[in-house]
Amino acid sequence: MAKTTAQITLASPDIADNTISISNVAYLTKAGSAVGLDQTSGLRRRTFTSTSTVKLIDLDHYQDQTLTANKAAKVYIKNTGTSTAEHVKVGIQNAAGALEEIGWLYGGDWMFFPYSAAYTSAAHANNQDIDVTPSSTDSVTLEYIVFYE
Amino acid sequence: MATTTATITLASTDLISDSLSLSSTTTLYDAGTTTGLTQYDSGRVKIPGDNNIYILLDSTAAAVNKGNRVYVANKNTEDAHYVDILIDEAVLGRLYAGDWMFIPWSQADAAANLEVRAPNEVNTVEYAIFHEGRTFTGA
Repeated sequence: MAKTTAQITLASPDIADNTISISNVAYLTKAGSAVGLDQTSGLRRRTFTSTSTVKLIDLDHYQDQTLTANKAAKVYIKNTGTSTAEHVKVGIQNAAGALEEIGWLYGGDWMFFPYSAAYTSAAHANNQDIDVTPSSTDSVTLEYIVFYE
Repeated sequence: MATTTATITLASTDLISDSLSLSSTTTLYDAGTTTGLTQYDSGRVKIPGDNNIYILLDSTAAAVNKGNRVYVANKNTEDAHYVDILIDEAVLGRLYAGDWMFIPWSQADAAANLEVRAPNEVNTVEYAIFHEGRTFTGA
């Protein structure tokens, strides 16, 4: 059984009168069990040079297989750039087939979140694809990993 | 200006044939600047296990397209317990017992609330939001 951990540390010595320090470790397990997630996309890297919206995680063409929906998948995405002025918008397709914006990743920012990965059709009508939209035509590279079962 | 950092470490010795070890640290800035975020809210709440969608964090006009970052952790310990995490009723995923998440949250519009739904069991959730400001409601 694979054992994968995700640890976060949030720290600030001066955002408040007292130091803030939040630390947490999650063991990435399959849905409803203590068995570790055993599949991954591996670390991937894509570079974008336009402001068009692109499918970063395309559920209809995901490594020639279908991610099991509504389980315990996790997604990590990082903007490897250094610009604090330009960002990449990250969104998820909702059940109505529209893009629901999650947030903006500026240079150096990362995000880690659970992913239901609901797949409905090859037409992407209501697939929970993860889409990204750079704010600039300047080259920007995202790194990402999907852990799934 | 405050300095707040968020560090993630992803590690596994046996998920793939070689060890996986990835670490990344980001400093939490106001949107589009190198000025550190200066405000935060945090809490610990029990989400009713009635399968209704509840607003954990309310989208606010002052925070639209700002540098908001959100941390949420499910503090339950039973493996089968989870809360769905949603934005404007669009499901991101299931946060199982012991899991945490950290995302930028642009609060794109007034409906883009960060929501939770616990289908079966009461789940205790801890959260923190680092932000540039919020719109206060008059008394």
